[in-house]
Amino acid sequence: MADSPLSSKNSAAAKRPVVIGLEVHIQLNTKTKLFCPCSTDYIGRTPNTNVCPICLAVPGTLPLLNDLAVALGSRMGLGLHCEIQNYSNFHRKNYFYPDLSKAYQITQYGLTIAVGGYIDIEPEGRPKRVRVHHLHLEEDAGKLVHPTADGRLTGAAYSLVDYNRGGVPLSEIVSEPDMSSPAEARDYVIRLRQLARYLDVSDGEMESGSLRVDANISLSNPDGSLGTRVEIKNMNSLKSLERALEYEISRQNKVLDSGGRIVQETRLWDDAEEVTRSMRSKETASDYRYYPEMDLAPIVITDEQIEDFKRAMPELPWEKRERFAREFGLSGEEVAILTEQKELARYYEETIAAGAPPARAANWVRMEVLRVLNETGTSISDFPLGPSVLAELVKKVESKELSSTIAKDILDTLSREDITLDEAVKRSGASAVRLTGCLLDEVVDRICAANPGVVETIKSGRDKKGGKMKFLQGLVMKETRGQADPSEAAGSLSKKLGA
Amino acid sequence: MARAAQIRLAPEDVDRMMDSINDILSFCALVGDLDCADTPDFTWRMKKLPSRRLDEAGDWADRDRFKSMSPTMEGDFFRVPRIHAED
Ligand SMILES: [Zn+2]
Repeated sequence: MADSPLSSKNSAAAKRPVVIGLEVHIQLNTKTKLFCPCSTDYIGRTPNTNVCPICLAVPGTLPLLNDLAVALGSRMGLGLHCEIQNYSNFHRKNYFYPDLSKAYQITQYGLTIAVGGYIDIEPEGRPKRVRVHHLHLEEDAGKLVHPTADGRLTGAAYSLVDYNRGGVPLSEIVSEPDMSSPAEARDYVIRLRQLARYLDVSDGEMESGSLRVDANISLSNPDGSLGTRVEIKNMNSLKSLERALEYEISRQNKVLDSGGRIVQETRLWDDAEEVTRSMRSKETASDYRYYPEMDLAPIVITDEQIEDFKRAMPELPWEKRERFAREFGLSGEEVAILTEQKELARYYEETIAAGAPPARAANWVRMEVLRVLNETGTSISDFPLGPSVLAELVKKVESKELSSTIAKDILDTLSREDITLDEAVKRSGASAVRLTGCLLDEVVDRICAANPGVVETIKSGRDKKGGKMKFLQGLVMKETRGQADPSEAAGSLSKKLGA
Repeated sequence: MARAAQIRLAPEDVDRMMDSINDILSFCALVGDLDCADTPDFTWRMKKLPSRRLDEAGDWADRDRFKSMSPTMEGDFFRVPRIHAED
């Protein structure tokens, strides 16, 4: 194996450590755009309806900063352990592309709203801290449509533009180049998205473009110095992020293995072909001719405001994980699933508050509630079965009033139909009084009488593996339509058969 | 100034532009020679505008009229000239 060409190639590649930094844009949860009162709800809208003289750059208009965008950017910055700056400002970033109405984008440069910070990731159980360089505010661009057969720019005699998205507030989070594998990059984005959702800063949907990721990737030189960095864009899912990075690592290794040189450039990920393609030589900061935006006052955030932002911070994902483990005695895996979405975590906590035991409730939410949500494609916020009803159901299982099999059926029924728990219990055939004691013994007697051969095998001690016993137990459960408790049925059987 | 504006200058240009800027500054200094001892202070105050706004939606009543006057519409889109891609 050591001598195969494949492994020697792999070991050559392994000598070049991977260095990844990410730039993540998240759309801030505001009703209106960053500098004008137009709606940010652009998806599916008729083109150029969410526009006004400001975002269309009609001469003579002036931008006016949305206060909520400042608050949300600061909040995200605090969640990332950044330092919020008392003073920052906006710059004009010039580039000639008609997706901008003004021919420049208003963004922050140099003095940004939040600086420094980190986020802790744990891909495949390996903890790592990824440093955040800064977070800044900027406006989104409009959308171009090219009237060509394939929708690409090449060959288009002209283009069409929709400015509905132009001016929508974004916060860009720039990491340090601290990630060393596609899995780490993926986990970083997952945790950033979770944080944005916990903080109500953004819905963080990658598919709809509320969260966009650009990656910078390079392979280190044998002497440990950084290699030439390539930027990858156009990855609109976590899967395509991972695939694009994997593709790029192997492409760069191949180029270097064959004695070639990596060109500093921007490459676009092609999801259908699963390749990255060269887009243009990478602009450097001087190409953008950044200069201060004189039409906007600087962003001043006082220490008092920063303290207010801090006080308004909700419980953060890692705080919730720690508390769930401590308060409810749950395992790491259980905690991870229950706290993945804060709405699910809240549902779980409300189930416990309504009297369900934490461990059993954790199982029910994790296994059954999530199963139904998956099957029906609904989110926990739209789940028709409230936490108090789930708590009642779990309590009935706990007190052995219902078998878990029947309780699961009831959960299914309640998630489909608008009926009460009592009605669902009645309909399931499980009587209010559970089959137990003498009534259960009667059924056991009947089953044994009907299966003399099996009974004989057990009594004579030939049921070494307990299979026959299980068979009888199954018949009892079937006969009682799940109204008996499985362990009680087993107890009654072994008492009768002396096994 | 060139550094602040992120403009790269050759050393010989720095000297030349330094002379020009000094000319401008000395011209500005002439303003200081004006005799304004009897000039009264401003009687009006600068109107102070808010530097931020609340996140409240507004609609633009003139949008359709504006769009109908635009020579560059195609359907609901604005039409923009050919973009020259570097490929
Ligand atoms: Zn607008």
